[in-house]
Amino acid sequence: MRTRTWAPYALIAPTLVLMAVFLVYPIGSVVYYSLQRYNVTQPWKNGFAGLDNFKQMLFDDPLFWQSLAFSAKWVFVEVGLQLLLGLILALIVNETFIGRGMARALVFSPWAVSGVLTTGIWILLLNPSTGIFQELSKLGIGTPGTSVLGNPDTVFDALVVTELWRGVPFFAILLLADLQSIPKDLYEAASVDGASRWRRFTSVTLPHLKDAIILSTLLRAVWEFNNVDLIYTLTGGGPANQTTTLPLYVARQAVDSHNFGYGSALTIAGFLILLFFSILYLRVSKFGSRA
Amino acid sequence: MRKLLVAVAAAALALTACGSGDTSSGGTATITFWDNNGGPARQPIYEELIKRFEAANPDIKVEYVGIPSASVQQKYDTAIVGGETPDVGGVTTSYLAHLVGQDALAPLDDRISGGPLKDKLLPSLVETVRQTAPDNKLYIVPSSANMDLIWYRTDWFKDAGLEPPKTWDEFITAATKLTDTAANKYGYTIRGGAGSVFQLITEAYAYSGVDSFFKDGKSTLNDKANAELVDKVADLYKKATPEADVNNSFTQMIAQFTGGSVAMMHHNLGSYGDVTKALGDKVAAIPLPVGPSGKRTVVPNPTDGFAVFKNSENPDAAWKFAEFLTSAESNSYWNEKVGQIPANTDVRSEAWIESNAHVKMALGVLEDPATVLVPAPVYLPQYSSITKTDSEPQYQKVLLGELTGQQFLDEMAKKLTEAQKEWEDRK
Amino acid sequence: MTETLIRPPVDTPPPPRPPTKRRRRAVAEEPGKRWLIHLPLVVYLLFTLIPFYWMLVFAVRPTGSTQLVPWPITFEHFDTVWNDIGFGIFFYNSVVMGLGVLVFVTVLSVMGGYALARFKFRGQKVFLLAMLCTQFIPGAMMLIPLFVIFKSAGLLNSITGLIIAEVAFQLPLSLILMSGFIRNISVELEEAAMVDGCSRLRAFFAVTLPQLKPALVAVGSFAFIGAWNQFLFALMFASRQDKFTLPVGLSYALGEFNTDFGALAAGGVVAAVPVVLVFAVVQRFLVQGLSAGAVKG
Repeated sequence: MRTRTWAPYALIAPTLVLMAVFLVYPIGSVVYYSLQRYNVTQPWKNGFAGLDNFKQMLFDDPLFWQSLAFSAKWVFVEVGLQLLLGLILALIVNETFIGRGMARALVFSPWAVSGVLTTGIWILLLNPSTGIFQELSKLGIGTPGTSVLGNPDTVFDALVVTELWRGVPFFAILLLADLQSIPKDLYEAASVDGASRWRRFTSVTLPHLKDAIILSTLLRAVWEFNNVDLIYTLTGGGPANQTTTLPLYVARQAVDSHNFGYGSALTIAGFLILLFFSILYLRVSKFGSRA
Repeated sequence: MRKLLVAVAAAALALTACGSGDTSSGGTATITFWDNNGGPARQPIYEELIKRFEAANPDIKVEYVGIPSASVQQKYDTAIVGGETPDVGGVTTSYLAHLVGQDALAPLDDRISGGPLKDKLLPSLVETVRQTAPDNKLYIVPSSANMDLIWYRTDWFKDAGLEPPKTWDEFITAATKLTDTAANKYGYTIRGGAGSVFQLITEAYAYSGVDSFFKDGKSTLNDKANAELVDKVADLYKKATPEADVNNSFTQMIAQFTGGSVAMMHHNLGSYGDVTKALGDKVAAIPLPVGPSGKRTVVPNPTDGFAVFKNSENPDAAWKFAEFLTSAESNSYWNEKVGQIPANTDVRSEAWIESNAHVKMALGVLEDPATVLVPAPVYLPQYSSITKTDSEPQYQKVLLGELTGQQFLDEMAKKLTEAQKEWEDRK
Repeated sequence: MTETLIRPPVDTPPPPRPPTKRRRRAVAEEPGKRWLIHLPLVVYLLFTLIPFYWMLVFAVRPTGSTQLVPWPITFEHFDTVWNDIGFGIFFYNSVVMGLGVLVFVTVLSVMGGYALARFKFRGQKVFLLAMLCTQFIPGAMMLIPLFVIFKSAGLLNSITGLIIAEVAFQLPLSLILMSGFIRNISVELEEAAMVDGCSRLRAFFAVTLPQLKPALVAVGSFAFIGAWNQFLFALMFASRQDKFTLPVGLSYALGEFNTDFGALAAGGVVAAVPVVLVFAVVQRFLVQGLSAGAVKG
C-alpha cells in the first residue's frame, strides 16, 4: 500500500472527472471575467480591463474592506460558537438517558430545514409584530416593538443566533459520529486509572476528535464565508451595510447590479483569502499529523 | 468518460422527452410561458387563462412556469446567456431595459398595430413602455398598470376619529397620533430595506410637485422639497414606526401590517390580495398625499406586460398567447383578480372596476387631467444599480441619523445626471 | 501515549489488538450529575423547537389571526400548497433528487476518502487542495458557465441533471469528511484480514465498512439534506413546472406580490416533517452498538 499503485487514482477518478467537467471551466470563467469589464446592461463598455477591477477594489472601494472585515468577524464568531455548542450537544446526546433517540432527532432537526424556510421562519419569529418579542412583551418581558434586526447594536447577535440554529446540528452530527470510533477500552483504561470526567475528555476524547474538529471547522468556515441566503433575506446586509459580508456584496454587484466583471474580481479576492487561510490553518493545526 | 457523459445526457434527454409528451404530432405547437410572479396568488389565474386559450386554440399548448419574483431577473439573465429563453414571459418595465439591452426580445409594434389590440391599450402605458427602450419600440405588450398608494386601517382611523390624510402634514399628524409604542402600535411602516428607494422617490415627488425627473439634463431628485420629504419621513422612524423598519423588505413590511401593529403602509395595488386576505374590510387605500403646492405628481409604478422572446421557435403562437392575455376578456379577468388597472381600454367600462374601491381610486388619480406623471428613468442601464445597490444602504444611514436627506439625494442625483448624460450621448 | 493508541502510524503498524468485546459504559454513571445532561438539553431543545412552533402556528391558523395557540385550526394553507402550487410533484422531485445525490455522494466519497486516508500517492496534497478550492467560489458566480455546460450536455430540465450538479458540488466536502472518518478507523484489522488472504476490497467490506456506519449516516444525511434544500440550481437548471423541487415551491410564498406566510409555513411543514421523521429513525445508526451498550447503561 505504500508502493506506487493505481488503486488510489482509480478511487478518486470519478471525483476528478466530475470536478474537471463541471467545476474547472466555471472557476476559470470567474478568473477570466475578473479581468474584464463585463456588464450585460452596458454591453458597449465590455472589454479587457486588465487589473482595473482589482485596483478599484483595493484602493477605491471602502465597502470591500468593510465587508471583508465583517465576513472575518462573522466566520470567526459563528464557527467558534457552532463548534463549541455542537461539541457539547454531541457529548450530551452520546450519553445514555431516557428519550435519547427522540432528543437527538429533535436537536438535529433544524439541519433538515431549507435555507428559504429557515429565513422565512426567522423573519416571522424576529418580526416585532408577529414574533417572539411581541409575545414576550405581553407577558411583561422586554419592551414591545423590540426589533433585534433593526437595531445596529443587536443585529449582529441576532444573526449569529439565527445561524447557530441551523449550524450547530452540523457539528453535533459530525462529532457524534466521530465519537463512535473512539475505542471504548480507552475510556475504561482511563477510568481505571482514576481519571476524572474532565481528564477523560481532555486526554481521550479531544485528541481523538482533533482531526474531525479541524476538518469540520475548516469546511464550515468556508461554507459560512460564502453562504449568503440568511443574511440576505433577514437584513439585506443592513442596516447601512453593517452586516454586509463579502459574498453578499458580490451578489449585489454581480447579480443585482449586473457588474459581473467587478463581482468576479471580488470573488477572486475571496478565493485567494480562503486559500491562504486554509493552507495556513491546515499547517498550523498540523492536520493529519500522527503522534 | 465522454461516453458515460453522453449516455447520461441521452438518458436525461429521454427522461425529459417522456415527461413532456409528444410535442410535434398533429401540428401542435408547444410554447412556454414564464410567470414573473410565480406563487399561489397568480398561478391559478394563469392556469385558468391557459385553459381558456387552449380551448380556443387546440393546436397550441402552453406550458406554465412560475418563477419566484425575487429571482426572476437572475433567471432571465441566465436563460438569455444560455439561449434557453421562454416563448412568452411576464416582464415589467423595471427590468425591461436590461432584456432589451441583451437583445432578447422581439419588438411587437407591428403585431400590435396589425391586430385587435390596435388603439385598445392605455396610451400612457404604451408611452412608458416605449420610453424604456432606446429605439422607442414596444418590447412588451402592456397588460396592467400599478400605482403607489397607502393602505390604511379603516378601523384604527375610525376609532381615533381621524380622516384619511390628504396632505403630507395630515399624514404625519395621523401617523403620530395613531402610534402607541407601549402597545406596539405604530402609525406607519417605512420600507427601509430592499426596494426602499423606489418607494421613497415616489413619495418625494408626490410631496414636492416637481414635474419632471430631469431639468436641462440635471436630475431634479435633489430638489430641496424632495429632501424635505426625506427628512420628514426619516423623522417618523422609531417615533411613529417600528424600529425594525430600517431593514424592511416587502416581506417584513407586510408581516407588520397584516400582523396588526401598523396603521399605514406605502405599497401599491399589487398587494391588494395580501392585505385584503388578512385584514378584510378593515383596510382601504388612499393615494400618496400631496405636498404644500397641492399639485398631484405621480411617479408611475413599473408597468406589467408580456414579452415575446426572440429565440422563440413559434413566434406566431407565442404572440397569439400574449395577445390573448391582453384581450379585453383575459385582461379583465386577470386585473380583477389581482386588483390592478387593466391596460385594455375596453375593460374600463366593466362593472367590477366600479365596485373595486382601490382600482377606482387609482384610476381616478391617473385619469385626472391635473395629475402630472413623472416617469422615473428606468431606461438608464445603471438605474437600478444606482437606486438600489448604491442608495439603499445610504437611505438606511438617513434613517439612522448618519446622513441628511439632502446629502443623500445629492449623491444619488449626481450619479443619475451622469448616467443620463451618457445615455443622451449614446442616442 | 493515548495518541499512539488511537492512530497507529500507517507505516509501522503495531501488532493487532484483539477486538474488544467489552460493552460500552455510559459516562453518566453518577445519577447525581444527571442535571448536567438534562438542563442544557432542555434549554437547547427550547431554542430548537420555538422556531418550529412558530412555523406550525402559521401553518394552521387562518391568515390574519394572531393567536399564539391557534384554535380552531385550519388546513386551508395545506390545501393552497398542495393544490394551488402543486407541492406533490415538487415533493416527488425532491425525494428523487435527494436519494440520487445521497447514493452517488456516499459511494464516491467512500471511494475517494479511502484513497486519501489509506494511500500515499503522488498528487495527494494537490488533490485535497483542489477539492477545497472548489468550495471557495459561491455557486451564483459559476451559474452561467455551468448553465452552458449543462445545456450542451442535455442536462437541463431533468432531475438527473440536478443530481449531477449537486453531486459535483457536494462531493469535495463529503469526500474530505469521509477521509477523516476513515483515517480514524484503525488500519490494523484491515491489514490483519489482508494478511489472512483477503483482498483489500474484501477486507474493506468485511472490516472497515461496518465501522463506518456512523460516518455513512452523517455524510449521507448531509448529502440528502443538501440536495433537499438546493435552491439556486433547482430554479436555474429547470424551466418546467414539473421539474421544480420543494425550495422553489417554498420561495413562491415570499414574493413581492405573493407574500403568503401561511403557505410558506404549511409548505415548510410538508418539506421538513418527513425529513425529521426519517432522521429520527436513521439517527440510531450514528451510535454504534446501541443494543450492546445503551440499554444497559
